[in-house]
Amino acid sequence: MDNQPYGDLNMSGVGSAGGGRYRRVKLEGVGKVNGNVSADDFRLNGVSTVRGSVETKSFFANGKLKVEGDVSADQAEMDGLIDVGGSLTGHEAVLNGYLKIGGDCEFERLRAAGGFEVGGMLNAGFVDIALYGQGKAREIGCESIRVRKIPKSRWKEALRNLFPRWRPELLTGTIEGDDLDLEHTVASAVRGNRVTIGPGCRIERVEYRTEYRKHPGAKVGKEWRTGE
Amino acid sequence: MERELISKKDLLDQTGISYGQLYRWKRKQLIPEEWFIRKSTFTGQETFFPKDLILARIDKILNMKDDLSLDQVAGKLSPSLPDYEMRKCDLMKRNIVSNVVLQRFAGQDPDPTVYAFEMILYLYVIDSLLQAGDMSLEEGERLLAAMRDHFPNFEGKPCELIFLRKMGVSSFALVSVPSQVYFDSGVKIVARLSMTEAIERLKSKLI
Repeated sequence: MDNQPYGDLNMSGVGSAGGGRYRRVKLEGVGKVNGNVSADDFRLNGVSTVRGSVETKSFFANGKLKVEGDVSADQAEMDGLIDVGGSLTGHEAVLNGYLKIGGDCEFERLRAAGGFEVGGMLNAGFVDIALYGQGKAREIGCESIRVRKIPKSRWKEALRNLFPRWRPELLTGTIEGDDLDLEHTVASAVRGNRVTIGPGCRIERVEYRTEYRKHPGAKVGKEWRTGE
Repeated sequence: MERELISKKDLLDQTGISYGQLYRWKRKQLIPEEWFIRKSTFTGQETFFPKDLILARIDKILNMKDDLSLDQVAGKLSPSLPDYEMRKCDLMKRNIVSNVVLQRFAGQDPDPTVYAFEMILYLYVIDSLLQAGDMSLEEGERLLAAMRDHFPNFEGKPCELIFLRKMGVSSFALVSVPSQVYFDSGVKIVARLSMTEAIERLKSKLI
């Protein structure tokens, strides 16, 4: 980004502001931004809505944020409830909480703890998912992925059976990648080089190239070795 | 005209690349989104690619990535028009556009005239169609006018040039990609070429 001086956007309490090019954006409290925002640094603490897209180098959201357009951020750190209408792209992302994306999600590295819903495709280099709730994506493409469930108490187990949305499971159409290490995943097809299917998986079709391991507690429909 | 498609699995087997590489290149926008064509088959949803385009592209990436970083490769492959200009005499000297074309379509310009990338592209496309023997010089003039008027409207989005003839009368169409066009039975498609590919070819010649 160029060196022209831009102003900061600081909002505390309740308010609204217009979009535009800023150096720093800091939203605290309850706020609304009308229009596209581009900034070097975007920080949110509280509840905010952006009626447009966000383009920034570092993106930090703590609380509840709704962005109606796309978000692109080199570094993204998200705690809380994030709702992005368009796509979410960037280099590295850490999520703690629940993330909902209408479009695609693209990162080189993605570490997520919690739940998520990706309407389009989740495409990331390295994916590490720890599920508290449900994870959903139309399809996943990656270099390596690891899916785990957070250990939990018996009380929560009972609650989760009442609310299926809280069942820690990854639901997706297809997962494709080089190194796949899955647990508690429901998918129609899994294709990869080295594939490990762990407990709690229900997968209709597995295609692997070099290595395949399956936990006795996993259900797999068909297994295929490709590239002979 | 149906393009020949290749399934993702066949593509990986044939080229020896992995899913991870394919997705990384997609993230870096080395492979455009439009080439991922989803179709349902008896094994469920499968992704297909336009065979000729994707094979050429993967070949190119594999060749380039040895001495360039992926981001540099992305810069070279992006369909946007570079800010590249060249003098008329250099075009001739480096044999990017043939003499015949330059004389016919730019004969009145003096040798040091500087052409923008767009103009070089138009001349290059005309030149390649002429050299293939598909088109006459008069038709070339019409094509030049058509590209001048309409090509900037695509604003860097991928498009294709269709050159068709019916009962000896020729005409040109620029269509966005991916699109499907159907003609009545008397129409013969003489040439169909992707402008994006032409840009790439030209870029690799110039730079």
